[in-house]
Amino acid sequence: MISQRAGTTALRRVAGTPNAFFTANVARLGLAQSLSTTQTRPVATQKITAEDQHSILAKQRLNRPVSPHLAIYDKQQTWFGGSIWMRITGSAFSGSLYLFATAYLAAPLFGWHLESASLAASFGALPPAVKGGLKFLAAWPFTFHFLNGIRHLLFDMAIGLRRQTIVKTGWYIWGASFVGGLYLAFFL
Amino acid sequence: MASIARSSLLRQVASARPGFQQGVIANATRATAFHTTARRDLLPPLPQRVEGTVNDAAPIPEPSPSHGSYHWTFDRLVAGSLVPLTVAPFAAGSLNPTLDAILCATILIHSHTGFQNIIIDYIPQYRTPRARKFFMWGLNAATAVVGLALYEFETTDVGITETIKRIWKA
Amino acid sequence: MAALRSSASLLLGAASRPALRASAAVPAAVRGMAQVSDGQQQNMTASGDKPKLKTFQIYRWNPDTPTEKPKMQSYTLDLNKTGPMVLDALIRIKNELDPTLTFRRSCREGICGSCAMNINGTNTLACLCRIPPEDTAEMKIYPLPHTYVVKDLVPDLTQFYKQYKSIKPYLQRDTPAPDGKEYRQSRADRKKLDGLYECILCACCSTSCPSYWWNSEEYLGPAILLQSYRWLVDSRDEKTAQRKDALNNSMSLYRCHTILNCTRTCPKGLNPGLAIAQIKKEMAF
Repeated sequence: MISQRAGTTALRRVAGTPNAFFTANVARLGLAQSLSTTQTRPVATQKITAEDQHSILAKQRLNRPVSPHLAIYDKQQTWFGGSIWMRITGSAFSGSLYLFATAYLAAPLFGWHLESASLAASFGALPPAVKGGLKFLAAWPFTFHFLNGIRHLLFDMAIGLRRQTIVKTGWYIWGASFVGGLYLAFFL
Repeated sequence: MASIARSSLLRQVASARPGFQQGVIANATRATAFHTTARRDLLPPLPQRVEGTVNDAAPIPEPSPSHGSYHWTFDRLVAGSLVPLTVAPFAAGSLNPTLDAILCATILIHSHTGFQNIIIDYIPQYRTPRARKFFMWGLNAATAVVGLALYEFETTDVGITETIKRIWKA
Repeated sequence: MAALRSSASLLLGAASRPALRASAAVPAAVRGMAQVSDGQQQNMTASGDKPKLKTFQIYRWNPDTPTEKPKMQSYTLDLNKTGPMVLDALIRIKNELDPTLTFRRSCREGICGSCAMNINGTNTLACLCRIPPEDTAEMKIYPLPHTYVVKDLVPDLTQFYKQYKSIKPYLQRDTPAPDGKEYRQSRADRKKLDGLYECILCACCSTSCPSYWWNSEEYLGPAILLQSYRWLVDSRDEKTAQRKDALNNSMSLYRCHTILNCTRTCPKGLNPGLAIAQIKKEMAF
């Protein structure tokens, strides 16, 4: 291509007449034509049946990768979305409830003391900082799950589903749940 | 010339100076290895299979309101009733035994349906039917055990809200 | 032609391009493809603007070498010579830097939904997504998340379309029109379709939904549910009960957990989350 173009320009320059432009174009056309006729096609085509088409496609499909999702999607929506933390906090609470309840049922067998009095006593024996930390660790998921739960119930009533409202209330919930969690942990 | 000859010319240029082109591409762009999360997935996506031809509609499941609309509505009612039940102890200091038992039962149902949702989401029926069955029945058993334990706790101990209050004030 | 231009621009850099063009003095008829910004370009260089370089990192995977892992490839463009939208950049990359880059595009004005892709973390249409001009950070472009990749930025939407077909997206009606001519609708009933009929099925919302990522085999996803609602509220449709029955199971509709990525991502500004909430509400009692 480069050499071809250089050649034409050179030809034009040498000729230097309006006619040369015309000749050059003719030469170019001839060249292009000869190019396309003499060139061999590197890919041979062949006819295939409809079934073959399907099986080839099915085979190709097996090779396809799945495009990345959690790793690349907007972190604000996936990792800080209210929904997933709803699930995390909820299953943390329910999970610990299930564990505690099962342990409470099994306690007499193993001689554990999981009655409210002994639990309160052992918790009271902890240093205040640890107590506050543990309380916050329980209080924040509670406030989050509670407040966001109300938000989700409103969503289910088709309230607050405007795009800006969703984003805003999402952040409000984070703020409010932290404030509420701190209050419950340290001022109650 | 443009459209007819372009592809062949392009090929010509490309084949005439492969070293040149490749050098340029290596210079101008840098290809970085890309890590998909697939390797760390617990249940990596299967290779793509399409049932039937591309023109067939996806199958429509049989209607079953007890897994659909009734279930959903029941879920929302339970969740909604938990709002006043959890606020009440804050207002009243603690709950009377009946309300405390109702709170316990509601939380248990709420937990159960929540876990159910998690299992349905993450353990697909069409792919791992046996694991799904195992977890569903495991959950049912666990809920029954926890129900029994909560009954024990409510009847022999001071009740959930009172316990939390005592621990909180300890 | 394209190859020449790309190698030239790569080699000599953008600044020397007009000079090259002038010396070549090619008649307009043999030019390979239309130039977007010929006049503009001369102005730019004349006023001595500094090149505004922007790097695009693009997901690449070639089905001809299926054993090779998908990779990110970066391309740098001068924004002074590129149109304002991401699609302009992609087209320019394909024209001038790398003709093997593959993506779907058609209308370039947000009405066909072909160029749906994940740009900087959110799904949108490349033709409606502006390249942030002042921001020098790299732009990351992926195919729609959790889809099977046909090549580069082209996802396979077979399942999506099959699901669309399964909701019977057409008017179902047995009684003939009262006047024998057309099915009439009150203004209020027609208004209910606003915000629903505009959906172009670009699949941005469906592929932004984690629930759809994990359960696309059975869960219909926001786009299809929005379309479903479009036929549920249509006053002319008479199969509302059957349509609701088709959704009344644990998977088709109720895998929606109001994550609402769909509403936040829709490039047409529609609200699939609201449509799904309305369906659930209508089916609740």
